Amino acid sequence: MILNEKEQAMLDGKYGEVVAEALDYLVQFGEAFGAEKLVDISYCHYPAEMAIYDGNVEDAVKYSSRGGKVVVPTTCSTLCSDLEKPEITGIPVQLAHLQAEVETAHRNMGIIETYTCTPQFLGFIPPFGSYNALVESSAIIYYNSVLGARTNRGGLFTRFAAITGKTPLMGYLLDENRKGTHYFKVNISQQRMDSYDAYSSLGMHIGAIVGSEVPVIDGIKPAKQEYLLALGAALATSGSVTLFHIPGVTPEARTVEEAFQGSQPKQSYELTESDLDAVYAKQTNIPVGTTIDFVTLGCPHYNLEQIRWVANKLEGRKIAEGVRFWVCTNRMTRRQAEYSGYVATIEEAGAKVIADTCPVESHMRISTCREFGLKIPNVEAMVCESGKMIRYVGDLIGCKTGLRNKEQCIEIAISGRFE
Amino acid sequence: MGKTYNVRKIVRGIAEGEAIVYSGSFSFLGDVDLGDGTIIAEGNPNKGIQLKDKILIYNETKGSSGGMVVLITLFKKGLAPAAIVTQKPVDYNLAEGAILSKVPFVCEPDGDILSEIQTGNRVRVDADKGILELL
Repeated sequence: MILNEKEQAMLDGKYGEVVAEALDYLVQFGEAFGAEKLVDISYCHYPAEMAIYDGNVEDAVKYSSRGGKVVVPTTCSTLCSDLEKPEITGIPVQLAHLQAEVETAHRNMGIIETYTCTPQFLGFIPPFGSYNALVESSAIIYYNSVLGARTNRGGLFTRFAAITGKTPLMGYLLDENRKGTHYFKVNISQQRMDSYDAYSSLGMHIGAIVGSEVPVIDGIKPAKQEYLLALGAALATSGSVTLFHIPGVTPEARTVEEAFQGSQPKQSYELTESDLDAVYAKQTNIPVGTTIDFVTLGCPHYNLEQIRWVANKLEGRKIAEGVRFWVCTNRMTRRQAEYSGYVATIEEAGAKVIADTCPVESHMRISTCREFGLKIPNVEAMVCESGKMIRYVGDLIGCKTGLRNKEQCIEIAISGRFE
Repeated sequence: MGKTYNVRKIVRGIAEGEAIVYSGSFSFLGDVDLGDGTIIAEGNPNKGIQLKDKILIYNETKGSSGGMVVLITLFKKGLAPAAIVTQKPVDYNLAEGAILSKVPFVCEPDGDILSEIQTGNRVRVDADKGILELL
């Protein structure tokens, strides 16, 4: 790999030992995949360092104590605890205390404590065509596809990108790897394609077909920002999709031809309503009429408008006894939602607005419940509008699941019965 | 009766030791005991062998990105293999794990190592020169 003068100086230790080590790791990683050089990044979304993983928090604290600072705007992903209100989720106190230790570590390194899977909702929008280094599959696919801000699927090495401001030029940073591979013609009415769960189901269906390739999804006009989020999150759940194009909607695909960069699709598919119906059927195993004990919205984390909508729907109503209802978001949005009175309205109805975490990332995972002697499964039957949430809680929490739209989620929470 | 293969360097370093060869795909998460670093996968002919100081040779990496964490944990305990060789191209996450664990790692040899090298043979990996030798 060819390094410029500054990168060589970093490697030679002129910027300190932590930077030298980080640059060395990035060079090795880049060389392993044939990258010719490093490039400057505009933004970084840093790995979640969660207390439910053994040694994770300890490692984060130790790393920060070595004095490294991030050199680009850096936000960070979700935790297993709501740090401001740990008691709200029922997390064991010991685990909450351990988790809270990462906050100082992150602050010392200059990382902005967003603890969210949707930093784009907080306004972290790097320029079109910029290079970035992100973790969190639903954010990665959104930045790549909707914003045209390029990133690979980051793992632990995102840390070294933040410390150096560099990443190897490879993978999805390169034009030739951004062309569409598979064509999907969606023959579903605009009326049906006007809900979060419809986009989530579409993503679950397509992701299972394309795996790690680049789908071009033609014939949809997502009316809302969160529809694009739901679609991407699902594509990166049933598959490991990192980039998608919607001709006429996403920025690298003004036309179908542009989406494929002039090449031919490897495969073409036509999708109909029955493909969506199959996803609902597959993800729903709660019998109708059964009592449910958990409803959740906010996978990925909700924005302020989505929370306002929930508050409006719940105003003056009460959710059923025995139902836990979580609306998950980031801490900044919750503060504003408190200021605007949405949180009070939601709490009066018996629901909760949770920050920093979500059911999947929480202490309700079977392995953590076992460690702390909590009830297993911690949830019997969970209803939500997100295919991603359902895919993970089924295995990790061990609950039955139901995929429904958000209006139905609210009515089910109020009746306490699955419909 | 040695034979030399050209390989692609993933992680730098030189190592020599006894080979553990498996023609199937291998996952550090699930196929290895985290406590003592022995292979525990049913169906793997090397079940019961400890990875420490061995040259681990297999077809391709499978399974969760958690495999990276297993390799790093073994490294911290001094139980990581001396080197890793795969017939197929490298997996993203395992590359991260091998770099952090400083385990020499090469892949894509220009020969059929999975049938030409047997478990117990002595081999030498020179990642920097891009060479795998059957000694």
